[in-house]
Amino acid sequence: MPAHPLQRVCYVEDDEDIRKIVRMSLERVGKLTVEVVGDPLVAIDAMKTFKPDLVMLDWMMPGMDGPTLYRRMREVPEVRDIPVVFITAKASEKELNELRALGAAGTISKPFSPKDMAEQLRSIWASLP
Amino acid sequence: MPLGIVFTLVIGAIATYELWDNRTRELVMFWWGLVLLVTAARTALWLGYRKSGNRVSEARQWLRWLAISALANGANWGFAGAVFFPSHTDEQQVFLAFLLAGIASAGIPTYAASWPMFAMYAGAVVLPFAYVLANFGNRLFAEIALLVPLFYLANVGIAYRLNQVFHSGYRLRHAYGRLTEDYTTLNKRLERQLVELDEARRQVEASGRKLALFAERAPIAVLELDNQGRIQRINHAAENLFGWPANEVAEKNPSVRILIRPEYHAEFDKRWQELMASRVPLAHLRVRNPRRDGLEVVCEWNVTPLVNPEGEIVGVIAQGQDITRQMEADQLKKEFTSTLSHELRTPLTSIIGSLQLINSGVLGEVDKDIAELTGVAERNGQRLLDLINDILDIEKIESGKLSTVPEVLSLDELVRESLVLNQGFAERFHVRFQLGGALLPVKVNADRKRLLQVMTNLLSNAAKFSPQGEAVEVTMEDLGERVRVSVLDRGPGIPESFRSRIFGRFAQADSSVTRQKGGTGLGLAICKRLIELMDGRIGFAERERGGTVFHFDMPKHAA
Repeated sequence: MPAHPLQRVCYVEDDEDIRKIVRMSLERVGKLTVEVVGDPLVAIDAMKTFKPDLVMLDWMMPGMDGPTLYRRMREVPEVRDIPVVFITAKASEKELNELRALGAAGTISKPFSPKDMAEQLRSIWASLP
Repeated sequence: MPLGIVFTLVIGAIATYELWDNRTRELVMFWWGLVLLVTAARTALWLGYRKSGNRVSEARQWLRWLAISALANGANWGFAGAVFFPSHTDEQQVFLAFLLAGIASAGIPTYAASWPMFAMYAGAVVLPFAYVLANFGNRLFAEIALLVPLFYLANVGIAYRLNQVFHSGYRLRHAYGRLTEDYTTLNKRLERQLVELDEARRQVEASGRKLALFAERAPIAVLELDNQGRIQRINHAAENLFGWPANEVAEKNPSVRILIRPEYHAEFDKRWQELMASRVPLAHLRVRNPRRDGLEVVCEWNVTPLVNPEGEIVGVIAQGQDITRQMEADQLKKEFTSTLSHELRTPLTSIIGSLQLINSGVLGEVDKDIAELTGVAERNGQRLLDLINDILDIEKIESGKLSTVPEVLSLDELVRESLVLNQGFAERFHVRFQLGGALLPVKVNADRKRLLQVMTNLLSNAAKFSPQGEAVEVTMEDLGERVRVSVLDRGPGIPESFRSRIFGRFAQADSSVTRQKGGTGLGLAICKRLIELMDGRIGFAERERGGTVFHFDMPKHAA
């Protein structure tokens, strides 16, 4: 378990409405500091500036999908160690296993419950080394 | 026989006349009477034999009577020789000796059928006479008496030989008769077989024509190949599908490789060799086949080697079905499913998420009427999402893409967990979930998530259909090799008409219930398929005093 409680979360998601709901949910229910990014191509730069404790990536995005962005992050020293949680509508066991194999800290399936999302993130955070 | 009878009467009459004199009149009369009596008996015997219906089966009996008559006849003459010889004159003695010799030899043709019979007859005729001669006290007569048995034996010998000749004659005739009979039967049988053969040939020809017609008119492509892979004939469907004219193919016999892309020729040759070696028919081979015009079709092939009784492959029949459209449809379905799962879920995520945030109260209190409406919206959004998830599940199960991840787990713990997880349904429908008796500590090999999904379905159904305030009971039961989990409700029960299709897709007894209480009509269909994927069984029964029991049986995990 990391030394400090989860505070700053960055969420990369192309759908504007979902971005809004997630931001509201994490801020209002979870009392977290949230940065949302709509364009995966600028996400790494945003992360460098925002310095999140944890990053949430949407699986399917136009331009660059979540797993690709994740691999890019691994190549950038400033962001390479940030734990990543994938948000995915793909529910198959096989795909979830693929994500875990990539090194993802956890997955949250879509559609998620905004009431419980912060709680889910905190439990993933607690399970990290 | 009749000749013998007449002969006996005539000779007898002559003998009576010759032997007649005053001294022995009574004796001669008596003898003549005996001759008549025996002759009458023989005549009766002969007439009886002629009338008899089954001489063959009674042959033994007739022979016995014939032997008796022969003995009587012979004894008669023997009597004459023995009695009249000593008492009569020399001339009469010569007559008697001559008579007896003649009578004895005349017996040969009469008793030709059986030499022992002749021996008996002739013995009766000459032996008493020989005895008398031997004891006459005359040297010449004694010498004759010695010769008589010799002549007698010679005669018996002749009768014996004659007998043998007769028998072989009979056998020959019998054999000939049998041969003729056999020949006739054989001929008849041959004739019958010829007719049958002809009929069979006609049937074979007819079925051959039918088969050819089937192949010719079949909607699937049929190719007839020789054992070198050269196409001998193709049917109409193949002609249409691949664009090669049937008559051209029949004339030039091109290799079947014209239907395979050049880069796969090596692989084809290998598989062809394997087929020739194994002779095992191949089924459901999917091959991309180039047409004559260069376009491609995808066909599913069944390939059957034709093996003759000597075990040689004389040809190969290949039947191909054009599945190009089916493949396209499958692809479309796959894309549609993917779209459904992503494109529909994304907006639903926003809708349900927004409503949940509002309804959770974290954004502040909302007006009661608005809260009610947003509640309706959230519930229905959830329902839509459930429906999508269920359709995706069913689609995955039916296309064989759903894989379960089995693990050894405690069924009692899973049941307990499911009650906690589904508490929401109990609250929403105002019922209680409770255990009916102790849970059994049993391990099963099952997919945890999927088994929970089944429990959720059964519990939510039970909650939905139970009257408010009632208890939904969950029990576990040991069935030996299996363990049963039952969910019991006090609902209205399942209508008779609905029972047979309760595990079908979109099955709901009363669609108005769906609108009131949610549910997709796919839940039980999914449960059944999931349970069966995990080697279990699912079923239901009427509950005593009203309600329904749904149960599933899982094989116990062997420790």
